[in-house]
Amino acid sequence: MKRRKFIQSAGLSVPLMVNGMNLRAMPKSSIFSAISSENDKVLVLIQLNGGNDGLATITPLDQYDKLANVRGNILIPQGSLLDVGSDNAFHPSMTGLKSQFDDGRMSVVQSVGYPNQNRSHFRSTDIWTSGSPADQQWTTGWLGRYLQEGAPDYPAGYPNSDCPDPFAITMGSLVSETCQGTAINYSLAINDPFSLNPLLDLEGSVPPMTPYGDELTFLRDSIEQTNAYGEVISNAASSASNMVTYPGLDANPLANQLKNVALMIAGGLQTKVYVVSIGGFDTHANQIGDSPSVGVHANLLSQLSQAVDTFQRDLVLLGLDQRVLTMTFSEFGRRIRSNDSLGTDHGDAAPLMLFGSCIAPGFIGDNPEIPVNPGVQDAIAMQYDFRNVYGSVLMDWFEVAEDDVKNLLFADFNHLPIIEGCEATSTENVKPEIEAVAFPNPFSWSINVKFTSGYEHVKVSLFNGSAQEIQVLVNKKLNSGQHEFSYDGSHLPSGTYYLHLQLEQGRQKTKLVVKN
Amino acid sequence: MDRRTTLASLFGRTKSDKIIDAMPTAASTVLSGLDPYTGPFEYEHAAHLLRRTIFGPTYQQIKDAVTNGLDATLTTLLADRPLPPEPTNVGYAEDPEVPIGESWVDKPYTQGANAQMILGYRRQSLVSWTVERWRKDGLSVREKMTLFWHNHYVTANINDPNHTYRYITTLRENALGNFKELTKMITIDLAMLQYLNGNQNTAVAPNENYARELLELFSIGKGPAVGPGDYTNYTEDDVVAMAKVLTGWRNTAPYQVPATSVFINGRHDQSTKQLSHRFDNIDIPNMGENEYAHLIDIIYQKDECARFICRKLYRWFVYYVISPDIEANVIEPMAQIMIDNDYEVKPALEALLASEHFFDMLSIGPMIKNPIDFVMSVLNTFEVEYNESDQNTYYRILRGTVGEALETMQMVPFNPPSVAGWKAYYQEPVYYRNWISSATLPPRMNFSNQMLTLGFGQGVNNVKIDVLKFTASLDNPFDPNELIDEFTKILYPQPISDEQKALLKSILIPGLPDFEWTVEYGDYINNPDDVNLEAAVRAKLENMLGAMLSMPEFYLS
Repeated sequence: MKRRKFIQSAGLSVPLMVNGMNLRAMPKSSIFSAISSENDKVLVLIQLNGGNDGLATITPLDQYDKLANVRGNILIPQGSLLDVGSDNAFHPSMTGLKSQFDDGRMSVVQSVGYPNQNRSHFRSTDIWTSGSPADQQWTTGWLGRYLQEGAPDYPAGYPNSDCPDPFAITMGSLVSETCQGTAINYSLAINDPFSLNPLLDLEGSVPPMTPYGDELTFLRDSIEQTNAYGEVISNAASSASNMVTYPGLDANPLANQLKNVALMIAGGLQTKVYVVSIGGFDTHANQIGDSPSVGVHANLLSQLSQAVDTFQRDLVLLGLDQRVLTMTFSEFGRRIRSNDSLGTDHGDAAPLMLFGSCIAPGFIGDNPEIPVNPGVQDAIAMQYDFRNVYGSVLMDWFEVAEDDVKNLLFADFNHLPIIEGCEATSTENVKPEIEAVAFPNPFSWSINVKFTSGYEHVKVSLFNGSAQEIQVLVNKKLNSGQHEFSYDGSHLPSGTYYLHLQLEQGRQKTKLVVKN
Repeated sequence: MDRRTTLASLFGRTKSDKIIDAMPTAASTVLSGLDPYTGPFEYEHAAHLLRRTIFGPTYQQIKDAVTNGLDATLTTLLADRPLPPEPTNVGYAEDPEVPIGESWVDKPYTQGANAQMILGYRRQSLVSWTVERWRKDGLSVREKMTLFWHNHYVTANINDPNHTYRYITTLRENALGNFKELTKMITIDLAMLQYLNGNQNTAVAPNENYARELLELFSIGKGPAVGPGDYTNYTEDDVVAMAKVLTGWRNTAPYQVPATSVFINGRHDQSTKQLSHRFDNIDIPNMGENEYAHLIDIIYQKDECARFICRKLYRWFVYYVISPDIEANVIEPMAQIMIDNDYEVKPALEALLASEHFFDMLSIGPMIKNPIDFVMSVLNTFEVEYNESDQNTYYRILRGTVGEALETMQMVPFNPPSVAGWKAYYQEPVYYRNWISSATLPPRMNFSNQMLTLGFGQGVNNVKIDVLKFTASLDNPFDPNELIDEFTKILYPQPISDEQKALLKSILIPGLPDFEWTVEYGDYINNPDDVNLEAAVRAKLENMLGAMLSMPEFYLS
């Protein structure tokens, strides 16, 4: 399939030699390439707890007059909305997200939901986190199933030298249900990557095969996991620095979570999934304040917008933006009609947002259609099944085969073109190619760099894991054509490095791991 | 590997939300039912009963229960008792309405410069007063039942502490009362009208927030979705119709006294509301202020209400796995007792706590203590003493020791995370395991370590575990093996292995023969004023208990 080939070439795979063995050749499960060195992609999920009002988040301008009739008491004046084109406008507090959108780093999938929408918070959250049909109860999470395929024995034998890092991390005190496996959750919950102290566990004999034994085993495993991963996480987080200033913890707890996520990724954790969350979207009453543009919902969206915008800018400066895909989800949208309490009740489908340098920017799908005279119960009809979004992420981001996606989610899976490639929009015409091979001698290594350019100014530089430029390798105007040179890095300490290639019309980054 | 079968099992599919068959399999072997337990009532049984019904029983309470027997102990646990004294102003001198030492309940607020301070001390007083209930309620299930109802009929973040007090007092007064009547009270409770938007629920614009949770979480529970908007026990149309039934109720403004809920006929939907086929298409005509109670009577005609609450009680007092056998042999007969008693809670709960199933060996020990239970089992089991002579300092230290610890462990009273309560009691498949994560484990260990070593307070006379006094109260503290055995009995629901005991002894007396402990401890007992001897023995005991309280066995009940 064409797309698969494209992803492999665009994914900038670096065949890395470690002790003479090509990591790419290592065996792996057919479905699970997540932990291989080839796929270094990271998924960040932002859970919007409570059911976000999609119509107030991204307002379809072609439906504005109809909305004015049925939710006039909370509707934001059209002039205050942030027009983003395609007959759509963002909530006025989402200025940060508008700039991400304008930069081609944001995608909106319209009207995402599922058939037979359940309007219970808890049931619908379970559906979204498990990826189950509305009429079935599944107790595993959609990412938990995926991770379990690659590590069915977890936690036995983990961490190990091939998998030194947690598979998934939930920021907060509770692990995310998205990462629930059959027997254990694949995510580690942490509040603060810098304070993870070792815990004591005096293990004795094997616990009995009783409920007591089950729970004791769980507790012992949790303590072991906490200890085993604690140091790895702290070391990673403290080896990196953020490149931008985030809003304060009190003003924006979501931003603080993302700040720590950025540190952990930059610090070299191979963790595939991070889950962050923000609550308060259950706006039955007083969704707006003194005017429709302010109040509870405006504050929530403002936090979301600032947090994501800061995170994205940080990732770009850290050279990580092509490795990280961020996606929102919420258990449901809200009703079309507002209620008399200046609020909205539980509804159905809503827009889902994705961020990153590799997404297909813009809108996917048509604007929701507002009936002329909707009933009290009416909400936005589903246009895209959320499992198609999940499956497309698994396929295009984690390179899971389509048949496996069908097994993990549902047989009727249809691929959505959510992820396009990793060039920013301004560099669409440039197809630079980098190929780097590291040859480790016992105490030194060198790297061969190969790329194609036009007749233009080219800069190639090496950054360390803290995103500091440590050496400029090329910085001059080159003739068009293919270029190749080698670089001796024997003086570098072990660690993660990034090679930045900057052309006039775009740039590209490649991760290198030096192991001496 | 045959992936298809693997995948089918991966999904952890379950038939309905009431039965889990994907999680711990050991529980599926529990076959005992609700018949009365007739076996011996020894230390382990008494300890099990008390650990599940009160916060952190003392050694003496357990030994007394063995002496008194199961029936007498249960009678005491379930006895009605008067309400505790109201929370007071313990130290804020600038409240013109409430002198220090007097109750602030139903007292007006003085607006003005000190308004926030007055509100602040009253809220803090309520938290400390609540912790005090967990310390002092003695041999009664009432506090655990009050917390059960708080987790069931959730309200959170209510501004007016007077409203919160009224809410929790309704739950406490009816802790062993009538489920149906309690639902009626809570439906027009001051805090609930705020929390789930009953205040905004009017004929012109019904707000269905409360109606939905009334069905889904408070009374009958949600069954499997069997059709669009049809959740077996009720439908989406019922949510809409019931929201209309409940229109017209609101409470007096926050901070106003007397605080009361009021029915405003002009805000009430006067139409006839029709329920769905799930409620036999019953019509509810306009009945004004009596309509909500009539509606609740209709809902409770469905026996599913009894099953729903009995499952929750089971998960609160026994374990979270409800296998088909447990559903048939425990939940079903327990629900029948509740139906036969028109939703009185006490007979059904008594049957559960006196049952073969409750005292089944497989029921002993698998409950992960929630943070309140964990913290109070440190404080109460070790009979930690607070200096109560200065009420203001006492209350502040109660908040410091307990209130702040509970925040880090993710269980803040009067602030559950959502209307469904704490995840440990509803979130499949892991239930209690939700309490445990790499974020909440360190605070547990930090708490017990601090209570053993530094304690909490202002540096002098800190509140802490007095290991020497406690150890002296044991049967034979002179023998290190018996000492460890006795601590094991006091702290853990099941025996620990010999290897673990050996490790503990190596912490108590590293590399030394047993008699050295007997000598050292005996020396100290004979010379209690020798500060050096005291310090040496204290340090050894603190080290060993630090390890014992950090062991996961102590997190289990």
